[in-house]
Amino acid sequence: MAGERRAPVLRLRGVRKTFGSELVLDGIDLDVYEGEVVVIIGPSGSGKTTLVRCIDQLESIDAGAMYLDDELLGFELVGGRLRPMSERSVNAQRRRMAMVFQQFNLFPHKKVIDNVTIGPIQSRGQVPADATRRARVLLERVGLGDKMQCYPRQLSGGQQQRVAIARALAMEPRIILFDEPTSALDAELVGEVLDVIQELAREGMTMIVVTHELRFAREVADRCVFMERGRIIEVGPPAQIFGQPRSERLRTFLSELQNLTGLDAGREDRHAVR
Amino acid sequence: MVNRGRRERTGRFSEDVVIDVSTARPPLRVWRLIATAIVLLIVARMLLFLIQTPNFQWDVVAQYLTFPSILHGLLVTIVITISCTALSIFLGTPIALCRLSPVLALRAVGGAYVWLFRGLPALVQIVFWFNLAYLLPRISLGIPFGPVLHSWSTNKVISPFVAALLGLGLTEAAYMSEIIRAGILSVDPGQRDAARSLGLGALKTFFLIIVPQAMRFILPPMGSQLIGLAKSTSLVSVVATSDLLFSVEVIYARTFEVIPLMLVACFWYIVIVSILFLLQVYLERRFSQGRMGARSHGAWWPWGRHRPAVASGIDLG
Repeated sequence: MAGERRAPVLRLRGVRKTFGSELVLDGIDLDVYEGEVVVIIGPSGSGKTTLVRCIDQLESIDAGAMYLDDELLGFELVGGRLRPMSERSVNAQRRRMAMVFQQFNLFPHKKVIDNVTIGPIQSRGQVPADATRRARVLLERVGLGDKMQCYPRQLSGGQQQRVAIARALAMEPRIILFDEPTSALDAELVGEVLDVIQELAREGMTMIVVTHELRFAREVADRCVFMERGRIIEVGPPAQIFGQPRSERLRTFLSELQNLTGLDAGREDRHAVR
Repeated sequence: MVNRGRRERTGRFSEDVVIDVSTARPPLRVWRLIATAIVLLIVARMLLFLIQTPNFQWDVVAQYLTFPSILHGLLVTIVITISCTALSIFLGTPIALCRLSPVLALRAVGGAYVWLFRGLPALVQIVFWFNLAYLLPRISLGIPFGPVLHSWSTNKVISPFVAALLGLGLTEAAYMSEIIRAGILSVDPGQRDAARSLGLGALKTFFLIIVPQAMRFILPPMGSQLIGLAKSTSLVSVVATSDLLFSVEVIYARTFEVIPLMLVACFWYIVIVSILFLLQVYLERRFSQGRMGARSHGAWWPWGRHRPAVASGIDLG
């Protein structure tokens, strides 16, 4: 693998997570290197979303360890004993990551510009004037320079998700986690969001993207991860994952998707044309 | 009118006529007219009744409307309403948070409070607090099982006003905590995820993200609750607090002008409640930022132009 000379930005070792009696993540090992785009695919219920939520510490993990730039996430050693961090320290770690949600989760009572500046101002302690200036640049970059004074509800789903991406970028994160960023969008709005993500990939942003858009995965991913039932079944470059899948399960998953999504293919073609 | 069609026997228009429904005349709606007439008739009769019945004694009403003792009673009623509102919010919010807490002991305390104080009639509580001295002659402040820091004579602390405040305020706090809890629960959990993901602490998440959104769901029931409270303050007259009702009672006990003095009280209660209503409308406007149509009402008073329900902020999306 390409990045072995450097330390990974994110390192997961044996991550396990249970909801009640159900094992949702069953020993996840994953390294994400600087500038790398890792795309996670897999059937629903395979634990993809839970995995990115665990990384952002919106869920706690039950076993294993996660490191961001070699710093243990969520736990600290005190007098040789491991214990959960204070909420304050967890928040300090969250500030170095950003997440884009399936349902956008913009703050509906705040204007677009305030959605983007609230993190830098309230969480990173930036001066409002600086935060606003930077937010303008970011909103221009996602093509929403003219919507800064709008409320999220006045925007289309695709525009809302692009605001959410600007909000994530405003945190100047080491890594951005995308949790099915286009799953809640109407088909014709998927393209504009994927274009923005693709642009970020080109600029070298480190990202984990959970998605069902296989075509997009193939175009953007440096590495693809196929998950099923809380385990990583196969990891590799997209050419291998989509071209020569090694495991039977991945082959089944891909062929089922191809049968199901005649429509999907059309949508992705349109995206390719843009 | 040129286009009014030559109708054929079948009821169809011949094809050479251009139809435009904007030229249609609205039909005469007989039942609507009848309903309107009935309403007008009843209203006219009621107005006549109000004016012509001498026993209302409108001159007496006018005379007592701004009588000093009544204005003082009005002031007491307003002060009790405001104090109880403040108490109910400042006590109700932590109780609501207790009930939402992951800590079992806090949940139990919150639940027990709501169960107890919602279960006891406010009137019973007012009388109970007023007579607290029989149970506890002295009230002490100290650490449980530890030293006493200070103690007071109960009779000096619990004035009729304080008894009223406790009886009404503690009851209101129980109801208010449920309203606040409902408001907090109504905010999409994704909002909290997003706030935490940005590294916002618990307090900032609560005050910057949760509260402003919960307010939309809290204000309408809270408005009803406060209007109910403003009227319940009349209960305090049982412990001889000189509120509006009590001041009125003192006068008619002497002059026997019961009906006109009741009308005086009614007038002022309606005034208080109307002010609360306007306040509610104003606050709802304020906290509906970002909701579709919320700003499209031009006027700040409630009797603005008619809008369909969809436009006034009910989110169907």
